[in-house]
Amino acid sequence: MKRVSSACLLPLLFLILFLCIDTTFAQDILSNKISIENNNTPLTTLLEEISKKAGVRFSYNPNKINGDQVIRYEATQKTLITILDEVGAIVGFTFKIIEGQIVLLPEKPNEKPASVEATLSGFVHDRKSGEAMIGAVLFVDELKTGVVTNAFGFYSVTLPKGDYHIRGSFVGYKEFVKEAPLLSSRQEDIQMDEDPPLLAPVIVTDAKPSAIEEIQAAKIDIRPKAVEERPALFGEMDVIKSLESVPGIKMHSDGSTFYYVRGGFRDQNLVMLDDAPVFNPSHLLGFFSTIIPDAINDITVYKGNMPASLGGRLSSVMYVQTKKGNDQRTQVWGNLGVISTKLGIEGPIKKGASSFMIAARLSRLKWFFQLLDPAVKKFQFYDINGKVNFKLNAANRVFLSFYTGSDDYYINNGAISWANQAATIRWNHIINEKLFVNTTFSGSKYDYFLYPDVANDTRWNSQIANINLKTDFSYFVAPQNVITFGAALSGYFFNPGNLKTKDPNAVFPQLSVRNSSEFVMYGNQEIQLNRRWGLNYGLRITSWTNTGEAFEFVLDNNGNPIDTLRYKSGQSYKNFINAEPRATISYTINERSSIKTSVARNVQNVHLITNSISPFTSLEVWLPSSINIQPQIAHQLTLGYYRSLSRPGLSFMAEGYIKKMFNQIDYIAHPRTLLNPLLERELRFGEGTAYGIETQIKKDEGRLRGWLGYTYSRALRQFNDINGGRTYNAFYDRPHQINLMMSYDINRRWNVGMNWNYSTGAPFSSPTGFYSYQGQSVPIYAEKNNDRLPDYHRMDVSATLKLNKNLEKKFNHSLTFSIYNLYGRKNTLFIDYNKQQVIDGSIKIPANALDNDRVISQSYLFQFVPSFSYNFKFL
Amino acid sequence: MRRKMVAIMILTLALQACEEIIQRPVLSQQTNLLVVDAILTNEQKQHVITLSLPTPNLNQGRLPVTGAFVEIGDGSKAYTVTESQTNPGSYISEAMRAVVGKTYLLHIVYKGKEYYGVDSSNPAEPLPTISYRKTNDVSYTLNFSNSGRLANFVEYQISWRNTAACTTASCDGKVYWYDLKTIDAHEIFKPAKAEFLFPAGATIIRRKYSVSDTYQKFLRSVISETEWRGGYFDIEPANASSNLSEGAIGFFAVSTVIADTTVVRP
Repeated sequence: MKRVSSACLLPLLFLILFLCIDTTFAQDILSNKISIENNNTPLTTLLEEISKKAGVRFSYNPNKINGDQVIRYEATQKTLITILDEVGAIVGFTFKIIEGQIVLLPEKPNEKPASVEATLSGFVHDRKSGEAMIGAVLFVDELKTGVVTNAFGFYSVTLPKGDYHIRGSFVGYKEFVKEAPLLSSRQEDIQMDEDPPLLAPVIVTDAKPSAIEEIQAAKIDIRPKAVEERPALFGEMDVIKSLESVPGIKMHSDGSTFYYVRGGFRDQNLVMLDDAPVFNPSHLLGFFSTIIPDAINDITVYKGNMPASLGGRLSSVMYVQTKKGNDQRTQVWGNLGVISTKLGIEGPIKKGASSFMIAARLSRLKWFFQLLDPAVKKFQFYDINGKVNFKLNAANRVFLSFYTGSDDYYINNGAISWANQAATIRWNHIINEKLFVNTTFSGSKYDYFLYPDVANDTRWNSQIANINLKTDFSYFVAPQNVITFGAALSGYFFNPGNLKTKDPNAVFPQLSVRNSSEFVMYGNQEIQLNRRWGLNYGLRITSWTNTGEAFEFVLDNNGNPIDTLRYKSGQSYKNFINAEPRATISYTINERSSIKTSVARNVQNVHLITNSISPFTSLEVWLPSSINIQPQIAHQLTLGYYRSLSRPGLSFMAEGYIKKMFNQIDYIAHPRTLLNPLLERELRFGEGTAYGIETQIKKDEGRLRGWLGYTYSRALRQFNDINGGRTYNAFYDRPHQINLMMSYDINRRWNVGMNWNYSTGAPFSSPTGFYSYQGQSVPIYAEKNNDRLPDYHRMDVSATLKLNKNLEKKFNHSLTFSIYNLYGRKNTLFIDYNKQQVIDGSIKIPANALDNDRVISQSYLFQFVPSFSYNFKFL
Repeated sequence: MRRKMVAIMILTLALQACEEIIQRPVLSQQTNLLVVDAILTNEQKQHVITLSLPTPNLNQGRLPVTGAFVEIGDGSKAYTVTESQTNPGSYISEAMRAVVGKTYLLHIVYKGKEYYGVDSSNPAEPLPTISYRKTNDVSYTLNFSNSGRLANFVEYQISWRNTAACTTASCDGKVYWYDLKTIDAHEIFKPAKAEFLFPAGATIIRRKYSVSDTYQKFLRSVISETEWRGGYFDIEPANASSNLSEGAIGFFAVSTVIADTTVVRP
């Protein structure tokens, strides 16, 4: 590559007049867009071409600006002003408009030192939809260095001026190589094309899995497409349920959206939808999750080692970004399944500049259940996701998104109901080519209602609500040196469950609501130190403050209240300041393998208070860190090995971890968690220890895609007041876990999928003896979680047929047939020792205390569930 | 009708929440825990205190504790309790009645270890009107409802042994209705309970027991492990509480009882 500097310019005076149609020169002509293709030609020739295409005249001193110098320059639909800036940067001139002519002036040597570096920045988009591509890798071949797009698809790479080839890759998209002359800083958006569903022969690339190149450890990118390809219960594609196939993540059981990551309780997982937390992402008690997969652009899961910009939970963050909407063309998509109907529409408001997306899902269960039982009054759930975005100019873009979803189950005079709402306003601003800022204002609310008496509108309601303002800066210092920093201010509201009723005679205890605020500052740097060593380190500092109006009980060592503290509205009364350092070091062994080790300290100030062992969404109470509840803290150390194998797209990963958790919450025997003003008295605090190794062989490309994972892990807890102070297995301690997930394109129209999951049975407390009291056979437990349920395993299969013979048609539709639990495994939910078989064969609690015929029984769900779903997309 | 059948079939296939009997060994552990089942009431009579050991298996009869020394005191007087010669594990007090406002102490000495339990009774509130309904041509079942403002439970002793309707060996029953004035999710969503059926002519003796705070706590924990265990919103299993010292289990309760008798009319 030929490098051009101002030093080579000869001071010659020359005037060139170009024929020009226009006799008047308008200032706004500088904003005209033209394309230039001029390889290795003299400057005079280039100026002639510009002159012809833009209709302008140039004048300059040939003694100062060498018109013979050969330069290489290309531009596609760029404004004249940009072109002149860029050519000027190469040659070394500035320009002025004098009397209708563009006068080129040589740069004074001491006026502006010639920059030896330039920055290429912009966004990476999907060409068809315009969706931001998060985590796309742009690799500079000549320098063997690269950059990854951030959470908004933005990239910035600063290099010595010169000619380069940029290689772009993203799973599921065609790899591309493009020439990138970088002679001055410029912004360029990049479009990528999705891989067709089946390629024969398979594209062979030498792109390495991002896990090898990235410094970040314990991070999983879940493509929405992978969720779609996965066999699903009732054909309902489910983002949360897809986590069950991820090594290191354990689902509670069938019928549940509860999940546990690396030995942490389920409240230690944060689900963020467009930066707003979703506190209970479940529908139909937990059979499905709230997130509509078709409305999702990107899903990233951090298993404890999250970037400093994310936090607030000990074990994981699931960061979900919805689609911004296709800014190229309008499209409608939908799905008809056994349980629900989905419909989405997205399209440009102004092509290429602004777009919208709205998606809705509505259950169709009520009809079924009312046929079965007329006492069913309501039996439904729904979700609505929406987003609009506006590109104000090249440097500013605004997004507005919202989510609302609810579940309502009314039977006779009783009911349960819950609702999640979230909304986000986000402003992306490019301060300069190296500095990107994202400001987000978000709010979310989760309500749970229990109606013991619908007629009297008697309802128990718990709530957690959050409002947040944050600003994140990304400073792209160099290709592999990114500094992120920012601050956030949040407000929280907690209602631990109060009862309201129209019954004038009813008297219920009043629980104190809580208000808290949180201020967060963070800084993080990810830097490739040299060819082999990479470092990602950061610090997150949180300040959590409780404020009135509230009352708190002072408890003695035995948990008895000895005083009541009352706080006025706005009065701050408890503060926790915590530092959360984190660091990852990566070492690239060779082009195909790397190792990483990381350490992180995480702090959590919101706590789910429940001792339910049910897989279903039951009464959910959240409380903040406060006088009687200390922040939960975790220290995690990980060590991982990542390798790409010889076949394209095939990779291997092994990650070991050890995690120590403090101020973990458990409960006294049979705690009163409902309408108990002294709720904190029921809590006990102890420690948790988790360790394990997660392995996975993954194939991302080709007709056969999927992975095989094996995990060995343990999750142990120790509380002085529980189990006699002895260590016990957590419910989610399931040492062995195998995940197999496969998707195969038989041809362009047929795809088949399969997943098989195995895990050791969950621990539970089984009786070691019984005694009789008032005819009841009362169990005696010697140890907590002394036993295990039978091992869990299940295979699901699916087949999808694209109904179009011509896949290029505007209207695409497909039919998916799936079978959940193919071989009908009875996976145990509960084992009970207190029921009898009655005359009709059913199993019930005995009514007659004189009966002595109790049995051991097990409950299970979903033995063999076939289903159809119909999907369509209209472009 | 056909539409309904299709819906039922789909749902039956789809939402298969099933429960079945399984064979599974109990992880029994040898234990010498003393089990106490004792309730003193305001009725002037000889009260029975039952001492036993836990059983390793379900449906196993009591393992009686014999040779224990048992005594009841009310702060001013000690009441003699003697071991039954005919019913091992049962200890019979001298005729006495518990009085509201007094605190009673149960003292047990067994194998050289001394156990204590303390309780006092609350006053009883009136029994509500009994209610039962016909389930078919020949059978009736009880309707239950909460009553009063204090925690209580009602024991229904039902017998038709001396009527013509008694055609099987089992013509007696005992049913409990607990009204503990507590609110728990696992109570609201407790598992289905069998219906106890009885014929016309059956005699129902109702006894409503008052419940002290510690007795309420104990009963709640027992029911959490029995009547309320096995629903879809279950809680962590745990041992029932107790008011007995030295790790003894069960409860020594003192209660005020109000009783009535009803004959089921056709």
